Amino acid sequence: MKYEIILTVNGVAYPVEVDAHASLLHTVRDQVGLTGSKEGCDDSECGACMMLIDGRPVNSCSYLACQADGAEIITVEGLAPGDDLTPLQSAFLAEGGVQCGFCTPGMLISATALLAANPEPTPDEIRVGLSGNLCRCTGYDGIVRAVSKVARG
Amino acid sequence: MMGATYTTASSVEDAVAAMAAGARPVAGGTDLVVGARQGKKPLPQALVGIHKIPGLDGIGESDGGLVLGALVTHSALVSHPIVRGRFTGLADASAIVGSHATRANGTIGGNLMNASPAMDTGAPLLCMGATVELAGPGGRRTIGLDELWAGPGQLSASADELLVSVNIPAPSPGTGSAYVRLQYRRQMEIAVVGAAAVVTLGGGAVMDARIAITALAPTIHRVPDAEAALVGGPPDEARVDAAAAAAAAAARPIGDVRASVEYRRAMAVVMARRAIMTAVARASGQDMAIPASDSTYGS
Amino acid sequence: MTIAEKPFIRPDGKEKVTGVGRYTADMNLTGQLYAKFRYSDHPHARIVRIDTSRAKAVPGVLAVLTHEDVPDVLYGGMVQDRRLFAKEKVRWEGDVIAGIAARTAAIAEEAAALIEVEYEVLDPLPDFAANMDAGASLVHEDWETYGADDSLDRSGNTLGHSSIVKGDADSAMAGADVVVKSRFVADASQGAPIEPRAILAQWHGDRVTVWSSTQVPFAARSGVAHTLDMPESHVRVVVPLLGGGFGSKCDFHFEAHVAALAKAAKRPVKLVFSRHEEFVAPDHRREGMVIELETGANRDGTLVSRRGTLRLDKGAYCGEGGFFAQMAAMHACGPYKIQNISVDSYLNYSTNQPSSSIRAPTAPQTCWAVEQHMDQVAEAIGMDPAELRRRTLIAEGDEGPAGQIFDPIGIKETLEAALDMIGYGKELPDDEAIGVACGWWPSFGVPSGAYVKLNGDGTGTIITGAMESGTGAVMGLPLLAAEVLGMSPEDFSITYQDTDAGPWDMGSSGSQTTFNNGRAVIEAAKEVREKLLDMAADELEAHRDDLELVGGAVQVKGSPGTSVTIADLAGSGEPILGKGSGDVPEAPEVEASACVGRLGMESFLAPQLITHAARVKLDRSTGVVRVLEFAAAHDSGVIINRIGADGQVYGGVMMGIGQALSEMTMFDQDGRQRNPGLLDYKLQTVSDAPKIDIRWIEVDTPNAGPKGSKGVGEPPSVPTSGAIGNAIAKLVGRHVDRLPMTPERVWETMHTEGE
Repeated sequence: MKYEIILTVNGVAYPVEVDAHASLLHTVRDQVGLTGSKEGCDDSECGACMMLIDGRPVNSCSYLACQADGAEIITVEGLAPGDDLTPLQSAFLAEGGVQCGFCTPGMLISATALLAANPEPTPDEIRVGLSGNLCRCTGYDGIVRAVSKVARG
Repeated sequence: MMGATYTTASSVEDAVAAMAAGARPVAGGTDLVVGARQGKKPLPQALVGIHKIPGLDGIGESDGGLVLGALVTHSALVSHPIVRGRFTGLADASAIVGSHATRANGTIGGNLMNASPAMDTGAPLLCMGATVELAGPGGRRTIGLDELWAGPGQLSASADELLVSVNIPAPSPGTGSAYVRLQYRRQMEIAVVGAAAVVTLGGGAVMDARIAITALAPTIHRVPDAEAALVGGPPDEARVDAAAAAAAAAARPIGDVRASVEYRRAMAVVMARRAIMTAVARASGQDMAIPASDSTYGS
Repeated sequence: MTIAEKPFIRPDGKEKVTGVGRYTADMNLTGQLYAKFRYSDHPHARIVRIDTSRAKAVPGVLAVLTHEDVPDVLYGGMVQDRRLFAKEKVRWEGDVIAGIAARTAAIAEEAAALIEVEYEVLDPLPDFAANMDAGASLVHEDWETYGADDSLDRSGNTLGHSSIVKGDADSAMAGADVVVKSRFVADASQGAPIEPRAILAQWHGDRVTVWSSTQVPFAARSGVAHTLDMPESHVRVVVPLLGGGFGSKCDFHFEAHVAALAKAAKRPVKLVFSRHEEFVAPDHRREGMVIELETGANRDGTLVSRRGTLRLDKGAYCGEGGFFAQMAAMHACGPYKIQNISVDSYLNYSTNQPSSSIRAPTAPQTCWAVEQHMDQVAEAIGMDPAELRRRTLIAEGDEGPAGQIFDPIGIKETLEAALDMIGYGKELPDDEAIGVACGWWPSFGVPSGAYVKLNGDGTGTIITGAMESGTGAVMGLPLLAAEVLGMSPEDFSITYQDTDAGPWDMGSSGSQTTFNNGRAVIEAAKEVREKLLDMAADELEAHRDDLELVGGAVQVKGSPGTSVTIADLAGSGEPILGKGSGDVPEAPEVEASACVGRLGMESFLAPQLITHAARVKLDRSTGVVRVLEFAAAHDSGVIINRIGADGQVYGGVMMGIGQALSEMTMFDQDGRQRNPGLLDYKLQTVSDAPKIDIRWIEVDTPNAGPKGSKGVGEPPSVPTSGAIGNAIAKLVGRHVDRLPMTPERVWETMHTEGE
């Protein structure tokens, strides 16, 4: 059975038609057409698919599209409102927090959620707040430094 | 996949009606949907979203006890001052469920109704004497957690019963609690061996003790022998050791990719001892870190 | 400020942090179909019959291919032992029997399950060490008929045997003050990039374009051309952004399967792996090993003799890992002065997943064994392990295992730097200890090419065949071109990862992109520079020897007023192009006639030297080990891009910690993977990452890469597990002889009686 729902992604309302079992990730990638959120594992172990749903970081591969009907969804494409990067995005680049970039969208989503909830996190809080995002390239060092830098202002 | 259905419930009654018609409830999706993706169990053909039901996401106090709505998330639990202060073992558990995203979305109701022998919140809640309120087509009933689980992934509740709330009675004065699990990594783990303890001290002696083990049997369960070994005197080394040994003796572990039977058995003693010691320390007023299992750099 | 210290934002950075950058799985073409594979149902079986009729009948299925539908071609690196689709036999659980292209992935999957395969099931042969025993059943009965590199010493299930022989190890051993014997077993592990692989293929007449998440687009192109019997000019491989590889995406993999499906279906076809497939299906993972070592030493630390026997698990097919036996043999010697050596190394077939290059193939496991063995030698002669290394590490003029004489190298300096950073000898709590390990890795000199062209506004474009797997090696190429041309790195765009555009390149493997392609870019830029000087000399009526390139202009030296901008010169309309490859540095000649299985690695070109030191904490009740602090000192020659080089160390050390403590592919008794997912194959998380201190020992290295640079990417994984192992041994009192050193294994070691 198909369901007509409205996904509000990065402030834009997208009417889409989905199966009951369709994941939010596949719907946003295939129907909304935003491919910034990545599929790295499909079972919530890597965090590459993370989006914000009403401000919460969610592994969108394991979240039903139907459940997100009417929610405010933010993907990596929606973090910077204009052409300028957000402080977090700039810091990720300046501190070596980006290599292959495949984990980056999810990392940025987690970091954004963390700083929104806790603008001055301790180093431990930063690590816990990013713990659901696996990175194989950077050893996390540049990522933690970038988040600390933005948190310190 | 063809013909799968999804509805959104706006009330408990809605949800129960959908469940009576064969739908399975979904809230955070962190167990049900993840399990399907891992190939454990296909997604049910009929789903009812319960995440929008109003009034199920509150943490309330009642006579010194707590009432948790089914939709309370792990992150809400771990950041709640009363949970941290008086139901600390639950905070220990919620603080280490999955990743930060699992904790932001995973609910207490989903965790308990998953009936996994490795769930983290089960053991501390069991020791705290928690009951759950189930709503079904015939009305509501309250049962103890010990009655809820029938086996791995198996419930005594019927398929059309929705967990509405979790009720935790007030702890006696002088009570401390803890949940500890074996962790290979500091985050993103699943319990390989875990244990919870709730200890009440009076006049330097253990007045009451509840001890439960996690991921060591088909269901999480309390160990009366361990509890009896701890009660009746000061929580000294001999008593704690005896209790931990009894807890491990009750284990019926499996061997799998995560650990052998022998290692699980040996770790059961260690985790039980740590849970008891931490609960004792908290019962005597010491401030012990939450979570009791190490979870970040440097620990 | 040196070039390495200038802040440099990688050119692909903005598209990566904003999510608009396209990886292969993000691409879609009109009319595209979805591919799925039918994998083998048994790790080892003879194929009796394949019936695809039910699969073909599924509505929405447009192509089903088996070995009958593609040219009967064997392929492989040093041994050609594999077909695209299994024909007579399946040799591991990931052998591909058929490919399906259908309108949806779900339909393709349904059809894959409907293919009927009748097998004659054979006993699996997962024990790679026992497979070399006389009388063992063969994984490849026809091994003698295969095309293969003549230098490989092949025999039955042994795909390659290499030895390192120096002096007379046996009699020297008999005369040593002490003899230490050890045996270590390393389990398989995985590259596990976060991006599962994806491939998209589209035909245009007789030509095909393949978008692939490969680290080696030119090898992928050769593979497609070879297996589908077509000229390379008809195959274009394009790599969109690559989501990491760590070696696992080296070699030709599934590009030809998808291209063949697209041809048969007459529509574009896309393949995207699930995480489960990314574990189980690639013929790439880190090899399991059994390592036996014996060292004779004198009480003053002199290493008089080393004997060793190494057995490596090749799995079912050769792939590009045919050189492993020799590489492992060199690591069994290590960067030490050893007077007599006899090491034999055997690369054996099994019916397990094939192993092939994963970040510094064979080195981390061998180094883990050798470095723990070195600590055992130190203990046997009553010497501090750091002191033993201080006395035995190689230096300029020393002789290598196969007779190579070393140029200036900084391994002793890396040892002192690592000891200094970690505070070796400092007072520690009784559940903490520091371990130290040294290692090495060669630089690979191979041909590579690049073009540099100038645009009309004075900006430039670098066109290269090199691959950017994420390390920043390609992203750093503008630094080199800019320096030659007096321009700024931001002035350059880069065209890369398209086999129709750039010259042939080995790809992102062997830590050699900067080493070789950097050289090519500098050469190409120099050609542009010559052209600019000629044009400016005319324009300024000056002698070209009096001119210099500064700040985007050509000027008379010391006279900025007399100048012409590069924009003016380039804007004249005359093409300003340069091409370059440069002279490939060669490894020192050696006389190693006593060694067999010589593949060219008996001499290490511009070796990269490493010392790692780890401070760990052991939970004695559980065996859980936490790495609290890590010091990494590297001689990688001159560092060209500091932020990129540091990033390789942070990432490589974390990968190494994973290999040391938590990452392990477990096989069941038949050779099937038991933990093909990220819940039970445990990568280290951000909360596990220790403080990592880095120091670069910038030795002026002759015969090296651009500006005296060596490789950077692979060494950080080499001695990590050895350092951690030595720290654990200090706390446990014995060495843990299984890798990874999981909590259960550490705990078992603590509770097992020593010999």
